[in-house]
Amino acid sequence: MTDLMAERTADGSQAQAGPDRKASGAAPPTRRQASRRGQLVAWAFLAPFMVAFVLFVIWPLIHGIYLSMTDQSLTGAGGSFIGFENYSEALADPVVWTSIGNTVWFTLITTVPLVVVALVMALLVNTGLPGQWLWRLSFFMPFLLASTVISQIWVWIFNPDIGAANDILATFGIEPVAWLQTANLDLISIAIATIWWTVGFNFLLYLAALQNIPDLQYEAAAIDGAGRWRQVFSITLPQLGPVTGVILILQMLASLKLFDQAYQMMDGGSSETSRPIVQYIFEAGFVGYRFGYASAISYIFFVLILIVGLFQVIVLSRRKGKS
Amino acid sequence: MIDTRINRRSVLAGGLATAGLAALVGCTPAQSSETRTLQFWHLLSGGDGITMQGMLDRVNASRSDFRVRPTVLAWGAPYYTKLAMAGAGGRAPELAVMHSSRVPGYVPGGLLDPWDVDLLRELGVDESTFTDPVWNASVVDGELYSVALDAHPFIALFNRDICDEAGVLDSSGQLMRPDSPDGFLDMCREIAGVTGERALSYGFIGDGQQMWRLFYTLYCQHGTQMEFPPGGNIEVDEDAFIASLEFMHELSDGEIASQRGTIDSAVAEFAAQRTGIHFTGVWELPPMQDAGVPVGATMIPNIFGTEAVYADSHSFVLPHQMNPDEQARSDTYSVVAELLKGSLAWAGAGHIPAYLPITEDEGYSDLTPQSDYAEAADYLVYDPVAWFTGSGSNFVLQFGQIVGSAITSGSGYDEALEDFRSYVNGLLAQPNPANPQGDLS
Repeated sequence: MTDLMAERTADGSQAQAGPDRKASGAAPPTRRQASRRGQLVAWAFLAPFMVAFVLFVIWPLIHGIYLSMTDQSLTGAGGSFIGFENYSEALADPVVWTSIGNTVWFTLITTVPLVVVALVMALLVNTGLPGQWLWRLSFFMPFLLASTVISQIWVWIFNPDIGAANDILATFGIEPVAWLQTANLDLISIAIATIWWTVGFNFLLYLAALQNIPDLQYEAAAIDGAGRWRQVFSITLPQLGPVTGVILILQMLASLKLFDQAYQMMDGGSSETSRPIVQYIFEAGFVGYRFGYASAISYIFFVLILIVGLFQVIVLSRRKGKS
Repeated sequence: MIDTRINRRSVLAGGLATAGLAALVGCTPAQSSETRTLQFWHLLSGGDGITMQGMLDRVNASRSDFRVRPTVLAWGAPYYTKLAMAGAGGRAPELAVMHSSRVPGYVPGGLLDPWDVDLLRELGVDESTFTDPVWNASVVDGELYSVALDAHPFIALFNRDICDEAGVLDSSGQLMRPDSPDGFLDMCREIAGVTGERALSYGFIGDGQQMWRLFYTLYCQHGTQMEFPPGGNIEVDEDAFIASLEFMHELSDGEIASQRGTIDSAVAEFAAQRTGIHFTGVWELPPMQDAGVPVGATMIPNIFGTEAVYADSHSFVLPHQMNPDEQARSDTYSVVAELLKGSLAWAGAGHIPAYLPITEDEGYSDLTPQSDYAEAADYLVYDPVAWFTGSGSNFVLQFGQIVGSAITSGSGYDEALEDFRSYVNGLLAQPNPANPQGDLS
């Protein structure tokens, strides 16, 4: 399987290298001119994006580093250079660390179910349940909702006094729970809502991948005497390897950015056990007006993500190397 | 071939853009030369927003030389962020609404311009047209920075039918006002006997703002207020602090009020007529009337000895402008004066109009149950003055974090007090972020 992948990427890179080689090889001057003009046209097409990219991504990135070393206030006051003071304050600020902890914990408790539940849903639908379109639609629908909408829905479901979640618990004789108002449980409740909201997207990716597995592999396996479960474990799951990798990465990135639904479900308030780091940056900068300090926290978070990202790349490439 | 296609497109696009620009440029001067436009930002949505729009429509209809153009933004932290940024840029709207309690935090950064008291007096607005608590809350460092439209206190709504059946109404049909914690709890038990469920709707779980509103009412009923001296230490009455929390715990015992009430579930419960009393802001009055609840309203009973009503005010402020236009400023003053004089309509939304000629008017005394709690205007207490306090501030949210479990569990009061003390002292030691280089004020 991995060999197949390697071949495919090798093919891909060859295909890319192809025209280049031709162009730089025995190309007459006119062609070179043409390619230079082609490059110009390419840059012209790229320019609008590049301008926006530099203006709204690269420049803020650089300016943010400067901001993080000032006592700039959102109100325009301050702005004098104070070196690494913000950084030392942030590193010693317990809320920074609990917020980062919350974000990481949220990433862990959402990523796994978002992969497993999506996979199970896709497998079920793919086995040929009657009314496939209905399942597809209802699994995917929540994903189409805005974060504001799902937050409102779940705030009511989780209402400790009159919410549906506690009604369901009550039918099993379980005492009511203050879902969003209990320390530690609040983030789990947000995670439940998030899983319900976004699992549909992963489900769709898995379903597409499942439908891409050629039938003849299953036929061959059946001829070899493999049962249904054997086929799932020996064909289906391994074939889903690449898409699982994609989902994992997308999911981790989405979860680390947690803000919208947490902010809205907690109604702008926050608790020590549910405040994600992005919300703390928002609170420091936009509620507390401390832009310099907020910038410093975001760069600390940025570095942490960078370390995780590098770690991921190293692990992935080592695994590839082994196989 | 390709080139020509690109050209044709770009020519088309360019032409369209130019035409659009011309249209925009063409319409702007035409409007501004006839009637001047006053930009007005406010945070009043829902029923409040409709009432305010009606008041603005009347002002606009009476004037031909200018027009007030409101921009409605959602209330809360984001509103104050936007207003601060507008003030920081120096090209802010001419007029805005703020909560009085947030004004002291805005002033040191130069985000607001002070009102000219003499000019206001000419228009019939001065110290004598407001109650003392309201006027005092509008003055920062000896200057008038806000002109209050209303006071919106935290009060007790009650269901007349249920309370009548429970025998807790006095001869004039008002809710009895017991003068001790036990007296109030007993009254609630009478009501619970009638509803068969709970007596009181009070939502507070996970909601620092709601906890603070009732807590500070009870705290100030002890005849004391907290002091937050900049750069110093909090002055807090420990006994009053703990007694207030204890009483809140006794209320939310599951029988008098829910142990897990949220602001939403409390509204739903009282609207469904399942409880007799609702501790809430005055703004919940119109929705309850609409829901068909036979609703009365009164100040929260004085159970600790001193009459005190926690409140905030919607106030008019002048966001800082670098180069204020004299004409626009004078228009703004007359708009505010006219809005105040037309604020009887505002009372319909439940708020107590701050402008005394309105509440002293007959039209207001006919308005019940609003006029039943008009007296509250004399007993208002606002947030302790500091840069970090006020409606929608981090401070009230954090307060909820600190005392929440003490209220629900009925233990750990001393720890809550210590945590609160060190939290506030930490903030007092920091400069106002709106003015990081200023002194600690």
